Parts: sequence; C-alpha cells; structure tokens
Amino acid sequence: MNEHRRQILEMLAEGKVTAEEAERLIDALDRQHPEPVPGTKPRPKFLRVLVVADDGTSGDGSSRINIRVPLQLLRAGVRLTALVPPPALAKANTELARAGWPIDLTQLKPQHLDDLIEHLDDLTVDVDDPGSTVKVFCE
Amino acid sequence: MPRLVTYRQRRSNGRWLRLYVPVLPVLLVLSPLLLLAVLVACVIYRVSPVGALRGAGQLLWASSGARFEITQGRTAVLVHVI
Repeated sequence: MNEHRRQILEMLAEGKVTAEEAERLIDALDRQHPEPVPGTKPRPKFLRVLVVADDGTSGDGSSRINIRVPLQLLRAGVRLTALVPPPALAKANTELARAGWPIDLTQLKPQHLDDLIEHLDDLTVDVDDPGSTVKVFCE
Repeated sequence: MPRLVTYRQRRSNGRWLRLYVPVLPVLLVLSPLLLLAVLVACVIYRVSPVGALRGAGQLLWASSGARFEITQGRTAVLVHVI
C-alpha cells in the first residue's frame, strides 16, 4: 500500500472524509499512479534514511531522523559536478592528500557517479544497535 | 516542478511553527536577484553560467517529493517539498 492510499484510509478512519470521498480520492490516485503490473519490479524513486536513537542522556526521549531524497535529485546533483573547474579539483586533491586521503577527484567522472546512483536501487543498509537503529534503502 | 515547500518546527514549548512557501511565486519574485547572484558567482568561480543555470533548474525540478524530518525530544523540524 502506498503512502497516499494509507493517508486517505487514515482520513477515512478519523472521519475527516466520507467513504464516497475516500473512494473518489483513491480512484483519482489510481489514475495518477496506476498500479504496477505484477511480476515487474517497480523502479525505486527515493533514497530513504531512517535513524532512531535513544538519547538516554538528556531524558528527552529518542531522536528520530527520517529523510527521503528523490533519486532524480541525486542524479541532478551529480551532473552539477561537471561544472566544478579543474583548478578547484586540483586544490581539493591537494587538501585530501594532506589529510591522508590520496583520492584523485579528476578521475571521478559524472557518468561514473551516475552509474553509482543507478545501482543504489539494490542498496540496503541496516544497522541495529542496542541504542539506535539506522536504515538506508531505496523505495 | 515542486509547487509548495512546507516547513514545520515544533518548539521546546510544544507549539508548532508552520510555514508554507509557494515555490513558483517566490521564484518569480526573487528571480532577478537569483539570476544576478548566479551570474556573479559564475564569473568569480569561472563556471559556465548556462551550465550552472541548467544544473540549478534540474536540481529544482528534481526536488519534488523530498522530505526531511528531524525530531529530538520535544523539538522537531519537518521540511516537505511537494
């Protein structure tokens, strides 16, 4: 069940909309985003980062981070790297080498980063710690 | 293209601050200033203005659907791009 559908059902449960209105909304949603054909894996659109940490020190309860970034936004950001002038990359290389990270950023081409984002679809990071949980995945 | 950016902030006293920013009107109002800032930055950093504007446009176009929610104790900041 997608998020919009769940929101409509929640509104129905809370009595904010009538059953007829909810049906109309769901119909409109289906027209806008048709259900995928069974058997085909839909392409993820978002990179999701969820962090829940119990902050026992302050006594204020837990900290929660929920970030959803469109993969398209990552691709657009990667294309911006093509605008970075070579002298800036050379300076960054020097600073990285000085900090003990001998990475040559001039070898990093936008198409490589594009490929990287293309394969983020399969990425799932799941960290379970007694005090915190971190999940990174595409949806 | 995103239509609305919603910013919600829950303060430590539990009260919510809500801001709804319509993207297109704000962009239209600020466009002369933004254009000037981009052009000046491009000249200073020797970057192609056309490429920079295209890149910024692509970023804006692709930002629809982004969501950032950070909650700590009683305070929270939620930013949605719709």
